[in-house]
Amino acid sequence: MTRVKKRRLLDQGIRTGVYLVSSIALFILAAILVYIFKTGSHLVNWDLIVGDANDINTDIYVEAEPGTYEIAEYSQDEILYFSEDWGIGFINTYNKEGHEIVEVGYISEDSPFVSALDKNNVDEYNRPLVIEVKVGTTVEKAFFNNGIALGVMGAEQIATMFDQATVIKSLTVQITGGGIRGSLLATMYLIGMTLTLAVPIGVSTAIYFNEYAKKTRFTSIIKYLVDLLTGVPSIIYGLLGAAVFIPVVNKLLNTAGGSLISGALTMSVILLPVIIKSTEEALKVIPNDLRTASLALGASKTQTVFRIVVPSAIPGILTGVMLSIGRIIGESAALIFAIGAAIKDRVVLTERATTLSVHIWSIMGGESPNYELASAIAIIILGVVVIMSIGVKLLARKLNKAWY
Amino acid sequence: MVGIKEYVTKKNIKTKNRVDLISRYYFLIMALLSASFIILIILFVVGKGIQPFISSAYLNVELSGSLQPVHIFDFITKEMWLNGPVGMSSEYGIGFAIVNTLLVVFLALILAVPVGVLTALFIAKIAPEKLAAFIRTITELLAAIPSIIYGVFGLGVIAKYVASFGVATGNQTSAGLSLLTTSIVLAIMILPTITAVSETSIRSVDKAIIQGSLALGATEMQTFFKVVLVSAKSGIFAGIILGVGRALGEATAVAMVSGNLFSGITTNLFGTTTTLTARMLLGIKETTGLDYDIRFSVGVVLMAVIIITNFLLRQIFKKVGNLDD
Repeated sequence: MTRVKKRRLLDQGIRTGVYLVSSIALFILAAILVYIFKTGSHLVNWDLIVGDANDINTDIYVEAEPGTYEIAEYSQDEILYFSEDWGIGFINTYNKEGHEIVEVGYISEDSPFVSALDKNNVDEYNRPLVIEVKVGTTVEKAFFNNGIALGVMGAEQIATMFDQATVIKSLTVQITGGGIRGSLLATMYLIGMTLTLAVPIGVSTAIYFNEYAKKTRFTSIIKYLVDLLTGVPSIIYGLLGAAVFIPVVNKLLNTAGGSLISGALTMSVILLPVIIKSTEEALKVIPNDLRTASLALGASKTQTVFRIVVPSAIPGILTGVMLSIGRIIGESAALIFAIGAAIKDRVVLTERATTLSVHIWSIMGGESPNYELASAIAIIILGVVVIMSIGVKLLARKLNKAWY
Repeated sequence: MVGIKEYVTKKNIKTKNRVDLISRYYFLIMALLSASFIILIILFVVGKGIQPFISSAYLNVELSGSLQPVHIFDFITKEMWLNGPVGMSSEYGIGFAIVNTLLVVFLALILAVPVGVLTALFIAKIAPEKLAAFIRTITELLAAIPSIIYGVFGLGVIAKYVASFGVATGNQTSAGLSLLTTSIVLAIMILPTITAVSETSIRSVDKAIIQGSLALGATEMQTFFKVVLVSAKSGIFAGIILGVGRALGEATAVAMVSGNLFSGITTNLFGTTTTLTARMLLGIKETTGLDYDIRFSVGVVLMAVIIITNFLLRQIFKKVGNLDD
């Protein structure tokens, strides 16, 4: 082979190599998406979104009297032993460890057990919590006015005893959770609070830098201090939240420990650079002619800023907002420190709660990580992040078109 | 309608100026507020992080006296996270974690930099426009994925493959939680950063240089590797520094796949390891007491490591940049 031919072959080889290496990124993304969807998609349904996260282990009772109920449709393999008086049917099955248990196999739509009352827990008005007995609820014991039924007796016996009883005194049940309602709410609360804090401060800072600041030493120092914020890893912000915001909120609002509010304060600091940068970009693009024209027409600088400049910068501000939303949903380390990792079903602003990402952290830790639920939540997170990214891209295009 | 003469009165101008002054101060205050946060971080995080070293305020009710404050030098050089039971001993150390962190990040760089730079070259110069845009979008999507999802992926997929790979090559693994897994996950996470910054740099290489090289008879690939990449050096190095910063600061994904090592330095690819960030995150039981506060100290060490690494890398790259080709 001539030297030229050799060289050409070598070149082709390298070229192919580069093609292959570049496909690695595609391969990785595809692998992640395939894994997440394969593992978690079967869980993504309405139940997941509105369900409680934590297992419920408690005793319930009903105040109703026996009635007449029917089975509308039952198509499972296990034999259903149905109590016509109470509209609840039982099956014999096995739990995760392989032990025989009795589960609720069917619940009539109008059964009193759809809104059973919790014997042990009350809500904030001191009324018993309402528990909905669903298919899959494990039954451990039942106390009637005329006897006691235990799970070991089997579904048939339990159903018979139900029919024989006139008063259901208490029913010890176990309802597995696995829903994400609490965390979804917490995430939305957090987004709302964080944006309310970060957007005014960030936009105002950007306005100062772009509209008011003169080129002095002082200005460059402030700019530098703000720039430094981008280089800090988010876990350090979490430490800041734990060291400053948690105690401050505790003192001001008489709370104890982490809360969504301290989390919002922490996230605002993290997002400040993002919003400042997006707003600054948008402000820079606005032609100076608009400002000078406004001032020439007699408007004050304040009027110019609030009525002309800011509205023109809205696409950029929105870009910052969308990036922030994506960031909030995805943030985990900082919030673990600034709020905590306790999954809650009832979300209160002054108490701990988990966002979707921290929820994943919580269920993936420990001895038995829950890959399926984690993947399901990941699907939801990715969905939101993708929508936000598309939104940012569209806005960027609009921003670029706006002035030409 | 009000005429100009009636509108531009002295009073109106005074009000206008006053309003402008107020709003100017408002914006200034907002900017000062934004600038103050970094100072808050330094003051309070470092402040709290120093506590375990100087304060004897760690009383343990069970013991007759108070815990000794943590010894700074020991802390930085020690091999073991904690010598003794939690709450009863103050012999904490993260020396091993510093070394392990650097090893993990270094290995991640070895994996990510070639792939990232070549992909950037591909997007910027070799690929047809549509394909380039496609790969660029893929990279941006990878950058947008939250780190915890990388943790789930790492645990569910990469760890399993590393485990089988280990078994196939005769190595024991702890269910795949290992140095190799951690580095792979980190490499994937910093890949978008390196690719994006390198691409910008490669794009801005002067066309004249490229054409000159081709005119002199070099092949395309020769030109790309010996001329373009070399000219884009500074941008590529900037990307690497950014990537290192991101890798050092990554917490949740690393905590999930590294294996929570308590002592010792891991050089075995298949052995469990830990990083500074993972050490901070794992094992939080209470939110008070020495065990919690010491994490702030680890945070201070982390910031120091980031600053020092940044500085060292810049020095190295400056030197390399000045070498004659």
